[in-house]
Amino acid sequence: MRQTPAALRRSARAHFTDPAKRRGLLVAFEGPDGSGKTTQRKLFKTWLKSEGYDVVTTKWNSSDLIKPIIKSRKAVRALSPEEFSLLHGADFRHRVEQVILPALWDGKLVIADRFLFTGLARDVARGLDLDWVLKLYGPLLWPDLVFYFSVSPVTSGKRVTATRMPSFYEAGQDVTQVDDPVESYQRFIARVIREYESLALIFNMITVDAEQSIGEQHRLIRRLFIEGRERPWSDWNADAVAEWLGNAGAGAGR
Amino acid sequence: MTKTKTKTRKAKAELITVDGVEAAALLAEARLALGTGSRGGISRWDASGVFQELAVADEAAGTPSARTLLLLYAADLAFRLRWQIRPALAEGRTVVAAPYVDTAMAFGRAAGIERAWLVNLFRFAPRARKRRFVHATGARAARAKDGFVGFGCDQITAGAGRGARRRVVEQTAAQLRRLDRRN
Repeated sequence: MRQTPAALRRSARAHFTDPAKRRGLLVAFEGPDGSGKTTQRKLFKTWLKSEGYDVVTTKWNSSDLIKPIIKSRKAVRALSPEEFSLLHGADFRHRVEQVILPALWDGKLVIADRFLFTGLARDVARGLDLDWVLKLYGPLLWPDLVFYFSVSPVTSGKRVTATRMPSFYEAGQDVTQVDDPVESYQRFIARVIREYESLALIFNMITVDAEQSIGEQHRLIRRLFIEGRERPWSDWNADAVAEWLGNAGAGAGR
Repeated sequence: MTKTKTKTRKAKAELITVDGVEAAALLAEARLALGTGSRGGISRWDASGVFQELAVADEAAGTPSARTLLLLYAADLAFRLRWQIRPALAEGRTVVAAPYVDTAMAFGRAAGIERAWLVNLFRFAPRARKRRFVHATGARAARAKDGFVGFGCDQITAGAGRGARRRVVEQTAAQLRRLDRRN
């Protein structure tokens, strides 16, 4: 017999607040391109493993089901801001259901290299309404900790263009209408960073000065993680977990 | 040279929507709604090919949930609006969108998704002046194979048995009747 949403929410709460179990933790790394997130994520993962954590990593736009769909449309530059937003929302939702929630349910530590805030910052920078985009990501799953790697548009631009040419959508050429990818990137990333800075305040992210040395940043992340890992489970997540539990064929654990 | 002023009568552009669970019945109704000799066109589900790609995806990629399918439906609808519906309306032609928002709303409600989320999702889609529905009941609805509802029900009830599939299709049909009554 199907359980009611209220019963599913109770199951979610009971599971994630059981003191006898090591509960799953979700840590998100956010920030613009060239902010050094990936370097820090790799260092963090290595350290967590040495501390005995079972770590799962999930990256932005990496769902096995949706990524090919997005990739083929990006290749022909066929996406409007709405389509771009909706397809990335679908990719995110699929990963929440297939990767993130199963791992959290099993008590693992999930590191998200970019989370929904990436979608919000980029979509709003493309001119979409924040309220519309935020609701697309509902029911919301809040990370236990969000590290925001803060860099200036100039630093981001320098770091990205030092090794490669930004791609069409990465450079925001679909909305800037600027032919030169480097110039377009510089304009677009300034908008994206502006949105990120607002989101970091609104959603109480932990800001890491990504212009500091790699070692300094890593030590700060370790310390803040140790301080933050004992936070209680956020009841805001009950709806997202309950929906996942209620979905037909959503795997083990129930 | 004498300037002559010619009066051009602007054709009445109209968006008509047709919603229902059966793809074949939707198309038949869309043709009826368009009428013979019309300069208009029909905008159909999956014009962007998103679902076609999903249908041939590796099983190991995992089945999509109703919410994921609805986000993809909305992406496909945004594509149809950009390339088919809005350009036709701008040229003064009638467009029949079959299916449109109501089919997705009904499917979402049948799958247990809250109305507020669905309303927000389709906020970008203009409201049609004429909304038509094709109703199917009982066994006929359960046989719905092609089209978004058939595809979606196959996906979200994969491995849950025929009974589960039938229930979702019938609930979608019931939701569409409700939407029609409010229309």
